[in-house]
Amino acid sequence: MIPNLSQFILLTLLGIVFLFMIPPQKTVVIRRITNITLFLTALLSVWFFCAYDTSVGGFQFVQNIPWVTSLGISYHLGIDGINSLLVLLLGIVSYSGLLVSKSVQDRVKEYHIMYLLIVAGTFGAFLSLDIFFFYFFHEVATIPVFLMIGIWGTGKKEYAAMKLTLYLVAGAAIALIGLIGLYLSTGLGTFDLVAIQQHLASNPIPLHLQNIIFPLIVLGFGITLTLWPFHTWAPVGYAEAPTAISMMHAGVLKKMGAYAIIRFAIQLMPEAAQIWIPIIATLAVVNIIFCGLVALTQRDLKYILSYSSCSHMGYILLGLACFNIIGINGVVFLIFAHGIMAALAFALAGFVADHTKTRNLDELGGLSKVMPFIGTCFMMAALASAGVPGFANFVAEIMVLLGAWDQYRWHAVAAVLGIVITAIYMLKAIRLGFQGPLNPRWKELRDPEVLSAKIPFVLLLGVLLIVGCWPSLILNHIGTSTKPVVEYFAKK
Amino acid sequence: MFVSINWLLFPLELLITLTLVVLVVMDVLLPKTVKKDWLGYVSLGANVLLLGFWTTQREVIGNTFNGMFVEDSLSWFFKGFFLVAMLFVFVMTHKFFKATEGRRNEFYLLLWLALIGMCLIASSADFLTLFISLEILTISLYVLTAYTKSDKFSLEAGMKYLILGALSSGFFLYGMSFLYGITHSTRFDVIQQYVSSQPLTPITLFAMVLIFAAVGFKIAAVPFHMWVPDVYQGAPTPVTALLSVGSKAAGFAILLRLFSVGGVFAAWHFEWSMALAILSAITMTYGNLVAMFQTNIKRLLGYSSISHAGYLLMGAAAGSALGASAMNFYLLGYLFTNLAAFLVILLFSIATKSDEISDFAGLAQRSGILAGTMLLALASLAGMPPLAGFFGKFALIMSAMKSGFLWLALIASANIVVSLYYYLMIAKRIYVDAPRSTSPITISVPMRTVLIIAMIAIVGIGIFQGPFFNAAITAISGM
Repeated sequence: MIPNLSQFILLTLLGIVFLFMIPPQKTVVIRRITNITLFLTALLSVWFFCAYDTSVGGFQFVQNIPWVTSLGISYHLGIDGINSLLVLLLGIVSYSGLLVSKSVQDRVKEYHIMYLLIVAGTFGAFLSLDIFFFYFFHEVATIPVFLMIGIWGTGKKEYAAMKLTLYLVAGAAIALIGLIGLYLSTGLGTFDLVAIQQHLASNPIPLHLQNIIFPLIVLGFGITLTLWPFHTWAPVGYAEAPTAISMMHAGVLKKMGAYAIIRFAIQLMPEAAQIWIPIIATLAVVNIIFCGLVALTQRDLKYILSYSSCSHMGYILLGLACFNIIGINGVVFLIFAHGIMAALAFALAGFVADHTKTRNLDELGGLSKVMPFIGTCFMMAALASAGVPGFANFVAEIMVLLGAWDQYRWHAVAAVLGIVITAIYMLKAIRLGFQGPLNPRWKELRDPEVLSAKIPFVLLLGVLLIVGCWPSLILNHIGTSTKPVVEYFAKK
Repeated sequence: MFVSINWLLFPLELLITLTLVVLVVMDVLLPKTVKKDWLGYVSLGANVLLLGFWTTQREVIGNTFNGMFVEDSLSWFFKGFFLVAMLFVFVMTHKFFKATEGRRNEFYLLLWLALIGMCLIASSADFLTLFISLEILTISLYVLTAYTKSDKFSLEAGMKYLILGALSSGFFLYGMSFLYGITHSTRFDVIQQYVSSQPLTPITLFAMVLIFAAVGFKIAAVPFHMWVPDVYQGAPTPVTALLSVGSKAAGFAILLRLFSVGGVFAAWHFEWSMALAILSAITMTYGNLVAMFQTNIKRLLGYSSISHAGYLLMGAAAGSALGASAMNFYLLGYLFTNLAAFLVILLFSIATKSDEISDFAGLAQRSGILAGTMLLALASLAGMPPLAGFFGKFALIMSAMKSGFLWLALIASANIVVSLYYYLMIAKRIYVDAPRSTSPITISVPMRTVLIIAMIAIVGIGIFQGPFFNAAITAISGM
C-alpha cells in the first residue's frame, strides 16, 4: 500500500472508532490499540520525512479534494520541508506522550480517545494546505485539551484548564478574523494556500489591508505561541496538565502558532511584515528576558519548565523578525528542537511528580542518587535547553542569533543573556531537585525498571543528540522550503 | 374576484391537516382508559412519511391564492427543517408523558397545529397569510407552554408568553396597517415594488420597525427577548425545544422573506443593515453575558438561544446572499445541536427530576451517552470544529466581514470566547466533577438510537459542510 497523507488523519480516527467499541474495563486492549495507532503514524511521519525529495522542493504528496466549492474550500494536503518536519515532530512526541501515559489509571478509555483526537487534529493542521482546514483542524484539539487537563490534571486543574482554553480560543478567534480578511482581500475566492501564494506573488494585498490583517493573525496565533504579555495561560496550564498534555502542548501544539505566522502572515504579507516586525522583535526579547527571569524565581519544577518554554518562544519570534534565510531556518529548526526538548523535560518532570506527588524543588533533592537514569536524562535536557553544543537546540539558537545579529544587534545581545538565564534556572533545578543530599522520603524511589518505560526518554534524547550532531539531516528539508519565503523578501 | 387555486402547490399542508383530523377523530374514538400512546405513534409515523413525501416536493414551485401563498426553494427548505424538528419534538413528547402521566392527546394535536402554522409561515407571500399563520403557531404555543397546569412555573411562562406575544401581534398588525395604507396591498410583491421605487419615509420606517419588533419577538432578539428565560424554564421541555428551534427558525424564515437580498425591504437595505448590525451585537453580547450566571440549564439555554439569534442577525445585517445562506446553514446546525441538548435535558430530568446545572455533576460516570451527546451539543453551540456550529459561525462572520462589518465580526469573535466559558463550565461539571449520586442512568435502546442520530448529524454537518451549505444556498437562490 502506498502511504498518503490522509492516512495520518484516517488512522487516528480509525483508532478512535475502535476505542469507542471497546468496553472501558479492558484497559490493556485500549492501550494496545492506541499504541499501535500512534506507532503507525510515527512510522508514517518518518517515512514521509525521508520520502520528501529535497532536490525538487515545493509541496509533495499533494491530495486535493474540493470540499465546499462555493466558498473555495478544499481538503488540500501536502508537505514541504517545513511541515514534513513538524509532522515528524508530532509523530515522535505523540508516541512518546502515549508511552508516558501508562501512569494514567483512571478513565482510561476517555483519556485515550481524547488523546487520539488531539493528535488527529494536529496532524490535520500541519498537513493542510487550505487555510480553512488549517484552522478547522487546529481548533479540534481545544475541547479535548480542556477536558484532559480538567480530569487528569493536578492542583488548580480546573482554573488552569479554563484559562488555557479561553486564551487559546480568544487567540484563535482573533486569528480567524485575520484569516477571513486574508481570504476576502485576495479577491480569489479560495482558501487554497498554494493558489493564494501564487496570486500574491504578483498582486500583493493593498498595504492598508495588510496592516489590519497582519497584526490580527500575528496577535491571534501569537497568543498560541505565548507571546508576551499573553503568555500567562501557559505556565499554569502546563504545570497542572497531565504529563502527556504538557508534552504535546509545549512540544507541538503551541508551535502551530509559529507555523501559522510563517505560512500565513510573513510569507503572504511581507510588506506589512516589514512594518510590524520591529515590534515583534522587541516583544520577542521581552519574552526571552521576562519569562526567563520569572522562571528564575520559581520553586516548582513544572513551572520552571513552563516559563522556560515561554521564554524560548522568544527566540522563535526573534528569528521570524530577522527576515533572512539563516534566521527563518533557525526558527524552523528551533521549533523542532524545542519541541523535542520540551517534551523530554516535561516527561521527566511528570515522572518525578507522579512518583513523589510533589513538584516543589524544596521537597525534592538528591533524586539522582536513587534515579540515576532519570537524573541523567534531566541533566541532558537541561543542557539542551541551555543551548549546549551537541544538542539540537544549540544549532537552532545559534542560527537565530546569527540571523538577528545584523539587524537587531542589541536584541541579539539580550537574547544571549537569555541563554545565560536559562542555564541558571536549569542548573538550579538540577541542583535542588536532583543533586545534593537525598531527601529520606524518596529513598524507596527507583528508575523505571522495564525497558519500555525508558523508551520515550531515550527516544527523545536520541533525536536531540542525533540532530544536534548532524544538523544537515533536517536542515536540507528546512532550506528547500524557506528559500522561497526569503527570496520573496529579497525581491522587495 | 375569481380566485384560482392550484391545489398541487400545497399538498404538504393538506396532508398535515389530514393527519390532524385523523388524530382528532382518534382522540374522540379511543377509550379514555387506553394506556398506549397511540397518538404519539401515529404522529411519529405520519411525520416520517411526511418527511419522505417532502423530499419529492423539491420541484414544486409557484404561487396561488392570488399570490398569497408561495412555494419556492426557501419554503421547501424550511418545511423540511420544521418536519425534522417536529420528529424530535414528538419523540420528546412521547417520553415526557410516559414519565408524567398527564393528558397527552391534546398535546399532540396542538403540536400538529403548530406545525401547520410554521409551514404556512414559510410559504407566506402576503402579510395577511403571514399574520394568520403566525397566530396559528403562536396560539398553539401559548397553550403548549402552559400545558402542565399544576406547575406554577409553566403557568407563569404561559401567561408571560401570552401577554408579550399578544403585544407583538399588535405591533405586527399596526405596522402592516401602515404599509397597507400606503401601498393599498398586503402582498409582498406589491410592497416590494413600492420599496424599490420609493425612498424610506418616516411612516414606512415606523411600519418597518413595528414589523421587525414582531419578528424580533419570535427570534428572541434584544430588546424583544424578555419572555425567553421564564418561558424556556417553565414550559414543558418538548415545548422549550420547539420554541428554541422551530419557532425561532420560523422567525428567521420571516426575516429572510422581509430583510434579505430578495426580500420585501431589500431596497432599503442601506437603511436597516446598520440597525440590524447593532441589534445583532447587542443581542449576542447580552445573551452570552447573562447566560454565564444561570444555574438552571433550560434558562441557560434560553439566554444562549438569545445570543444565537444575535449571531444569526449578523447574516441578516450583511444583507447578502452569502449572509442569508450562512443563516440557513447555521439554523441547520443549530437544529440538531439544540434538539440534542434538549433531549438530553429531558432524559436527564426524567431520571433525576432536576434541571439544575449543579445536578449534572459527574454525569459522565452515570451515563456515557448522555454526557457525550451533551458535550457534543455544547461544543457545537460554542462553535468548535469539527461540529456543525463551527462552520455556521464561520460563514456568518465571513458574511459580516464581506459586507464591511469588521467591528461586528470582532464582537462576534469575542462573544465566542465568552460563550465558550459557560458551555465549558457545564462540560466541566459533566466530565470533571464528582457525581452526587453514583446510580447509573439507563437509556432505552430507542432513545439511544435517537441520541446517536443527533450526534451523527452534528458531526456529519460539521465535517461534510459542502452539500448542506449548497442546500442553504439553493434555498436562497430560488427566492
